Amino acid sequence: MSLLSVRHLTTEFYSGGRWLEAVSDVSFDLRPGEILGLVGESGCGKSTIAYSVMRLLAKNARISGGEVWLGDVNLTAADDGRLQDLRGSRLSMIFQDPMTALDSLFTVGHQVIETLQEHLDLDAAAARARALELLRQVGIPAAEERLNAYPYQFSGGMSQRIALAIAISCQPQVLIADEPTTALDVTIQAQILHLIRRLMVEEGGTGVLLITHDLGVVAQVCDRVAVMYAGKIVEFGAVESIFSDPLHPYTQALLNSLPSQGIKRGALENIRGRVPSLDDRPTGCRFHPRCPHARDICRVEAPPLLRRAGGQEVACVLYD
Amino acid sequence: MSSTINGAGPLLRAVGLSKHFPLESSLLASLRGAEARTVKAVEAVSLDVYAGQTLAIVGESGSGKSTLGRLLLRLTRPTAGRVLYKDKNIFSMKRGELRAFRRQAQIILQDPYASLNPRMRVGRIIREPLDIYREGSRAERDRRAHMLLERVGLTSAHARAYPSELSGGQRQRVGIAAALALSPEIIIADEPTSSLDVSVQAQTLNLLSELQRDFNLTYVFITHDLGVVQHFSDRVAVMYLGRIVEEAPTEALFAAPQHPYTQVLFSAIPLPDPTRRVNWDLPKGEPPSPLDPPSGCHFHPRCPKVMTACSAIEPPLKATGPARRVACLLFEAEADLPQTKGD
Repeated sequence: MSLLSVRHLTTEFYSGGRWLEAVSDVSFDLRPGEILGLVGESGCGKSTIAYSVMRLLAKNARISGGEVWLGDVNLTAADDGRLQDLRGSRLSMIFQDPMTALDSLFTVGHQVIETLQEHLDLDAAAARARALELLRQVGIPAAEERLNAYPYQFSGGMSQRIALAIAISCQPQVLIADEPTTALDVTIQAQILHLIRRLMVEEGGTGVLLITHDLGVVAQVCDRVAVMYAGKIVEFGAVESIFSDPLHPYTQALLNSLPSQGIKRGALENIRGRVPSLDDRPTGCRFHPRCPHARDICRVEAPPLLRRAGGQEVACVLYD
Repeated sequence: MSSTINGAGPLLRAVGLSKHFPLESSLLASLRGAEARTVKAVEAVSLDVYAGQTLAIVGESGSGKSTLGRLLLRLTRPTAGRVLYKDKNIFSMKRGELRAFRRQAQIILQDPYASLNPRMRVGRIIREPLDIYREGSRAERDRRAHMLLERVGLTSAHARAYPSELSGGQRQRVGIAAALALSPEIIIADEPTSSLDVSVQAQTLNLLSELQRDFNLTYVFITHDLGVVQHFSDRVAVMYLGRIVEEAPTEALFAAPQHPYTQVLFSAIPLPDPTRRVNWDLPKGEPPSPLDPPSGCHFHPRCPKVMTACSAIEPPLKATGPARRVACLLFEAEADLPQTKGD
């Protein structure tokens, strides 16, 4: 059973007089109670997937292929009214910068209560009581007083807690978290990730799609992970297997380039070259110009994502 | 470490260095006789930087690590204390001495998007320090700029590009080349790889390692990334709210962090290893505002090992081992402590 089903999603951006693919034929399912990580470097398309699912793409972007299903609702075909209903109730999102979600002109209490009343049938007193409960749940000290404070009066970590309180206020089935802790210090990051894990997954059975470039965050909180490169998923599987037995040469290189884990000094493994730009995607396997194992066929044929015996999926001819 | 053992003095030393920023124009306040409010960004920091080594300064936002970096280069003046470069106080240097110091001490900044002049071509950006110091002829300066470009892994062709035409990693290489132009002894790098993707970060760290080896560079690495610290540095100073709370050789620190803050910080790092999941509950509370730091040990309200005395006494940095110092009452001899009742 899946909460969210992304099928052959392709999203394009209009640039320099033509449409360029940022996300190419991406499919995955999000299950209840799991945190699914979408990991990759800048420009790999991970955030574009989030915005495609939320149908919050910029004007110069469009979904040109595939479907996204939230239960029995086809999000790619839903009209604005339907989407408005779903966002904030069954489908929520938090962003890297919590101020994206907060309005600086209104008190925090007003914003939490507004969301509750928009989607749930609550009177003013009940909404206020629920708002208080939410602020307490996300660990805002002196919640009663803080209800009347404005966003600028909160630190980055506290603002992210409030954004999270709003996002979970209607107990969504799916939470999309786009680099939610990237701007925060590590001790605060640990608290926020712990909170997401506890509130959403363990108590609520919500599915979380966690978009991050941080492999440490993935290892610590995700159940499954999709590794993306240049608009495609190149490897998919349980977090333990991806880290202990990475199959795709890109995943291997990414893990090896991390400076830590007692590798003292010595050169870190490099991935030669750089990520191709949108208008310059290589033919065949998009990683082939940088791949140490590239063969002739890699230049021509794009390998499909295939399931291997252990359940891990990989898109690479090495495993044909 | 070798430098301490063979007796050579530190290349750069901070002695009792403090930087307080006044908060508001306090004319009215001072007329009223009120004390001006200040943020103590850096408070009584003493630190030695040895030639050819890398000292990492780590801490979270508001710890004062970037301000400390700026003080070490005299990019800002201290409220108190000195910075000695080869035993000479950089804040009392005369014009000529200062000019000589500035050649030897350079900076690399975090954001290569913001730190390069967008209207200058890359070749000119790298040549500019040479122009300012009137090094050789124009042709020689251009040649050196091209050589530096190649040294940092770019090509002469990049000299004609504007920063906007380069990727983040390439821009950081330009920043590094410009910092190297005058063959400095010491480079202060403030979060040099924080805005880069991991694979580009790896390339940049490798480059910085090679340059250090080739030119015997001394680095002060300001960072919040403990993976980078562990990989790259010889010694580490951990800062919390303007003070150094622990200082140790890198290996010793990672093997056994002593200050409770260092322990909390280390335990909060998300290790890229799903079989070693950390205890997410451990760090409690938010770092307090530097405007209104807690009394005594600044960390005491968040400290899992807090004792009664911690809110009253500012623990000094005390030696706890070879080249190790920690500022925590847990490491004071019991006799030194005033009598406290258990809580």
